[in-house]
Amino acid sequence: MQKVGEFKLPHFFNYPPYFTLQPVRDTREKQVQLWKELILDYCKHHKIFVIGLEEEFPLFSNPTIDRSLRHEAKEVFLSALVSEGRAEWLEKGHKKCLILWHRIPDWADYILQFVKDNGLEDSVTTVEEIRSGVESRGTELAGIDRVVLMRALKLLEQKGKATIFKGTSTDDEGIKFSA
Amino acid sequence: MRRRPGISGLQTAAAARDQYRLLGENVAKIRTDLMKEQLSTFRSQLEEFARKHKNDIRKNPAFRSQFHEMCAKVGVDPLASNKGFWAELLGIGDFYYELGVQIVEICLATRSHNGGLINLQELCSLLRQRRKAARDSISEDDCLRAISKLKVLGSGFEVISVGKKKLVRSVPTELNKDHNEILELAQAQGFVTVEEVEKRLGWSPGRATDALEVLLKEGLAMIDDGHRDGKHRYWFPCVASISAAIEADMIKA
Repeated sequence: MQKVGEFKLPHFFNYPPYFTLQPVRDTREKQVQLWKELILDYCKHHKIFVIGLEEEFPLFSNPTIDRSLRHEAKEVFLSALVSEGRAEWLEKGHKKCLILWHRIPDWADYILQFVKDNGLEDSVTTVEEIRSGVESRGTELAGIDRVVLMRALKLLEQKGKATIFKGTSTDDEGIKFSA
Repeated sequence: MRRRPGISGLQTAAAARDQYRLLGENVAKIRTDLMKEQLSTFRSQLEEFARKHKNDIRKNPAFRSQFHEMCAKVGVDPLASNKGFWAELLGIGDFYYELGVQIVEICLATRSHNGGLINLQELCSLLRQRRKAARDSISEDDCLRAISKLKVLGSGFEVISVGKKKLVRSVPTELNKDHNEILELAQAQGFVTVEEVEKRLGWSPGRATDALEVLLKEGLAMIDDGHRDGKHRYWFPCVASISAAIEADMIKA
């Protein structure tokens, strides 16, 4: 069993045909299902938020069996995630994909819990603090992708649970969570 | 002087016939009684044997298979019914019933991966993993017995022999001789190429491609075009040893 870091790769990763997009529908469905799960698990484990299709990505090739995914296959697997709301293309060219191992509403809930745990209700904090502050250390929010975080915060704002306002410096925004 | 037919002659003949019949009936009755007695002795011996070795029969797969053989020879089928002496004594009907259900579950869980064809050895090892909690060990013979009981469901469970290996089929796919030969060839490496099939089996390119396409369509094969040599490989999850591990993943999932 190979490991990338502490991540345990599933057995199918060592079976060569899983690196070729299967032409038969049923077989392909299973193949896509397995890859979807693997991509989400892997990204969650390594806190990866963006996969670039044209860059090296350890999951998309297996040197042990000398196989790697073609561009088309990567796009099929990621598109399947996109259609389930577990990923989003960052631009039209489908070259970069945002991976949502927690869906945006789940992130929003996670943030609310985080706010409650740290008694941040009614106080002002910044986006950057949520990403790298002391409180977030050891939580899933540490190092969260800015795009993902902003989307979750906007959702909270829509629900009336937070207010986002521009700070004095352009690159950071302030947030006030309502109790 | 020749005797002429007369009343007394006919009466004597009739009396003799009666006597013979009586005697014959007696003999037959004695024989049947004797047989019945022997059979019941044998049965009680068999029951006593079963009772005595109950634990061995339950726990030891080799012993169990020999016991089945012995029963078959004297025309007793301990699996025939769940009621009655045998089931009560050994609980053996339930054992195979349970095994059968688990086999069906494994076949279904792995179908999307192997197309409904699974190596008997792998099926057994998956079965063992599943039954880890149960202390009794099971053999391939037990699997085969359980599968043969599944046949009454008419669900198309069947054991086919390909080369030296036995494969369990849980889909109604009809495999012809060509397909079987390809599966046999694939056992060596887990995959075949069109060229290899042509060369090793002496087939025309069309025949090889046709058969492989059918196997692909049935979900029994997976295509792999990622090798450096550019040749397409057809992988067969039902014969490749690595598939056991994949299937184990699936059942856990």
